[in-house]
Amino acid sequence: MTTETIPPIRPYYDFSTVFMATKAFIDRYNEKHDQLTERLNANHRATAELITRLYAKQLNHAVSLGEDISEQLPGFKTYNPSLASCKGCTVRTIINHKERLKAAGFISKEIHRGKTGVELWINPQVFAPKKLPTTSGNIQGIIKDIKGALCPEVKNLHPLVHVQQEQKKNNNSTVDKFITPEEGVHLSAHSPKETNVTGTVQEQDKNTEESRTSDSKTQTRGAKKMRKNGSDPAFLLQLVRDFWKYARLLLFAELILSEVEENEILNHIWVSVYRKFRVKGNKKDWEGYQQILYKRVDMVCRYLERNPNRWVAPAHLYFSPDNKRNGFNKTYDWYLKQEILKKEIRNQILIQKTEKEWQDHDKGKGKNKHKTRLQLFRIQQQRLSTYKDDTLMREYEKSLQRTLLKPIAI
Amino acid sequence: MISPNLPSISLCKCIVYFHDGNSRTFYSLDKTHKRAKPNQALGIRRLEKMLNVRFKGLWETAIIYENQPNGKEIAKYKNGIRLF
Repeated sequence: MTTETIPPIRPYYDFSTVFMATKAFIDRYNEKHDQLTERLNANHRATAELITRLYAKQLNHAVSLGEDISEQLPGFKTYNPSLASCKGCTVRTIINHKERLKAAGFISKEIHRGKTGVELWINPQVFAPKKLPTTSGNIQGIIKDIKGALCPEVKNLHPLVHVQQEQKKNNNSTVDKFITPEEGVHLSAHSPKETNVTGTVQEQDKNTEESRTSDSKTQTRGAKKMRKNGSDPAFLLQLVRDFWKYARLLLFAELILSEVEENEILNHIWVSVYRKFRVKGNKKDWEGYQQILYKRVDMVCRYLERNPNRWVAPAHLYFSPDNKRNGFNKTYDWYLKQEILKKEIRNQILIQKTEKEWQDHDKGKGKNKHKTRLQLFRIQQQRLSTYKDDTLMREYEKSLQRTLLKPIAI
Repeated sequence: MISPNLPSISLCKCIVYFHDGNSRTFYSLDKTHKRAKPNQALGIRRLEKMLNVRFKGLWETAIIYENQPNGKEIAKYKNGIRLF
């Protein structure tokens, strides 16, 4: 079955959309105010964009963990110093910028939570709770909304109240039944209520939930083998079921399957994705692996959204261990590539930051202006060594040679 | 070669009600080869393919049952759309 027309599964805050909304908001605000002292300058704008970027990331992460944010958005939890270090300025600057943004109505509410930082609520014009993922077509609508609701009314928008989101629980208490003597591990399908996907588009599973039911009398070969690995078999099987539930929601939303067909797919996943749990690892390792799998599914989902003409193979083939051509296992290469790219970009940013610090230090600017060159080097070295990345340290050395040896060459 | 006693060894059967008023029962082929272990999911997929490819547009209702006395319904199709 092709997945050309995947219905929207869960809200996704696309940065480009949020960015456009932020830009439109600030532009309109500036148009309304003639005095320079009242306007938001480029620096305020940068802070606003930083906040929206991090908030979008936080919201998307919350969604991927199964939180229901369709009704009310949780606040943006952050720390002033962390914002300052992200932006490369002092904490006082961040506080001042926040004041300006609050006055402009961009930040609708702020709560100081002492040790746990601050919590910000952004104007609903920019971040609105939504049930559908944002598409590029919505931008015009959002901009229109902002145009309509500008004026002094912006400040009087109803505040978003933060409510601790409840996590839905998987009440799977029948895990004992999943183990049969014949196949080693036999996975039972979801209950018929759960398989009815069409009506529950918004439903998100709780990934970290584990089943505690474990009956020693029904232990069989497969189960014992898994116990040797140091993990509870019920927990491991729950991982398979959670993964399938997640993948099904995102990739095979319209698929209707009978219990038998679903069992077959679960067995395929158990073999191809989890390698029959033969790899040794404790509970934490498997949870980490599960998170990677969710990211891989997300990647496939985004790929399909970007390319409506593309499709993935039907579920029984997609997860089949014999499928070497277009199976799910190929996404591991994607994942590796993405992670390597992320690391490279992170390294570049860190190196740029150190170079900037050296430049500032030479000019007698910045927060390190009173430190000696050796002290600055030690600070940077200590900071970069926390990432435990050899390539980063090598690049740092190269950048040091570039930046510090330059004046001597001249 | 397809076994002659298919109705007795198949794991599921499909009853198709055609537009012309006829109805016919088909039995599933659940093995990939002669000595393979029967795979019910494979049988269901093959029956589904038969409905959607071979008899496309010719039938109104099709129901797949377990091939047992009082076997329960596994899947039901109406005008090419799977209902459950």
